[in-house]
Amino acid sequence: MTTFDSRWMNSWMDTVNSDLVMPRIGRYFTAGFLLGIGDEEWVVSMQRGQIERITDNLSIETPWSFALRAPRESWEKFVQKIPPPMYNDIWAMAHPLHGRLRMDGDVKVLWQNIRALTWMLACMRQVGDREVVEQRATRV
Amino acid sequence: MAPKISPVTGHYVDVDVADVTYQVFYLHNGTGIPLLCQHTAGCHNHQYRNLLRDPAVTERFQVIAYDLPYHGKSDPPNGEQWWTRQYDLTAEFFQEFVVNFARTLELDRPVFMGSSMGGVVALHLARDHSEKFRALIALEAADYTPGFYLDWWHHPAVEDGSVAASVIEGLIAPQTSELDRRLTMHYYAQAAPGVLKGDLYFYSVEHDMRETVSEIDTSKVPLYLLTGEYDYLSTPTQTIATAEKIVGAKVETMCEIGHFPMSENHDTFMTYLRPILDEIAERHKEP
Repeated sequence: MTTFDSRWMNSWMDTVNSDLVMPRIGRYFTAGFLLGIGDEEWVVSMQRGQIERITDNLSIETPWSFALRAPRESWEKFVQKIPPPMYNDIWAMAHPLHGRLRMDGDVKVLWQNIRALTWMLACMRQVGDREVVEQRATRV
Repeated sequence: MAPKISPVTGHYVDVDVADVTYQVFYLHNGTGIPLLCQHTAGCHNHQYRNLLRDPAVTERFQVIAYDLPYHGKSDPPNGEQWWTRQYDLTAEFFQEFVVNFARTLELDRPVFMGSSMGGVVALHLARDHSEKFRALIALEAADYTPGFYLDWWHHPAVEDGSVAASVIEGLIAPQTSELDRRLTMHYYAQAAPGVLKGDLYFYSVEHDMRETVSEIDTSKVPLYLLTGEYDYLSTPTQTIATAEKIVGAKVETMCEIGHFPMSENHDTFMTYLRPILDEIAERHKEP
């Protein structure tokens, strides 16, 4: 079972920021988006296809353009190496019968950066297992 | 070294629909029972690239994978000011095109197979044109498939091709090889702006057979429904529920397959398609 804590977020950030494709497909992805995992909310700040910061210390002054919110169980299935049917994709999870993922806010930014967004979300599946995550420094 | 020339050949043919002529491109290989193959929305016939080259199919079936007008190498209509109006595919045009295409090529009651909007139109053909086909194979079909006619498919703030390729990636099963995944996405990035959205008018707005799908008479034409377990648009549950309304329809869920079986994973797809083709071939064996 995945624990989506600050260490996991750091590991994901490292994975995205060391990915060789992201700088090319995310060149114009400069925006913040909110990731809702169950009751917890994180804001991911993107700068030219790189994750600049991930924080759960949110206030009304923490900017984000669009939000992806889904139950924890949905994200747990999504990040599996081989996700089960109906949980392999945010659009699949957005189906009301499946993952109950909600897309809110300025979704134009989401559509404009969909290539980089889906790529970096898929990078979640490369985040190491718990032991690897534990070894990494906490930066969030 | 001898050139590696494929046995698959490309052809153009004029097809008339409602007094308008369309220059249509199709790929062809094989001999025997004609098997018409319809691509998915906003795509083209390369989705059937592996089926077209599979001797296990082409030794008994002539595989004919066409591009619907506006798609791939098939042009919009000749002699019409198509650029002055919005492209929205309709059930009436779609069915008439398939029937007229088969008639133009003088095909004797072909088998029709299509995926997604092609699977959906197979249900329409089964209901309205049963006498013109030997069998219909509906891939990734259900009697009602709403929710995908979105303005974002064709919007000045976004790039149609990237959006299409990125969104449909989620409809591909994760077990798909990287090459087939990328080709399937690549084809989706090739559509002319507005064509994918226009196709989805038929798929998600006009198509609603919830009340009429039970009118399909499988004693006139056999109907097979295959849906991939990773298809979230027409899920296996929805396909099975649709099949249960049709007396005699045969239905199966395909493991490790998504919304584009023929383009995602030919070998896995064939484990489900082969018995169907065997059944059709057996039924139509030369005496």
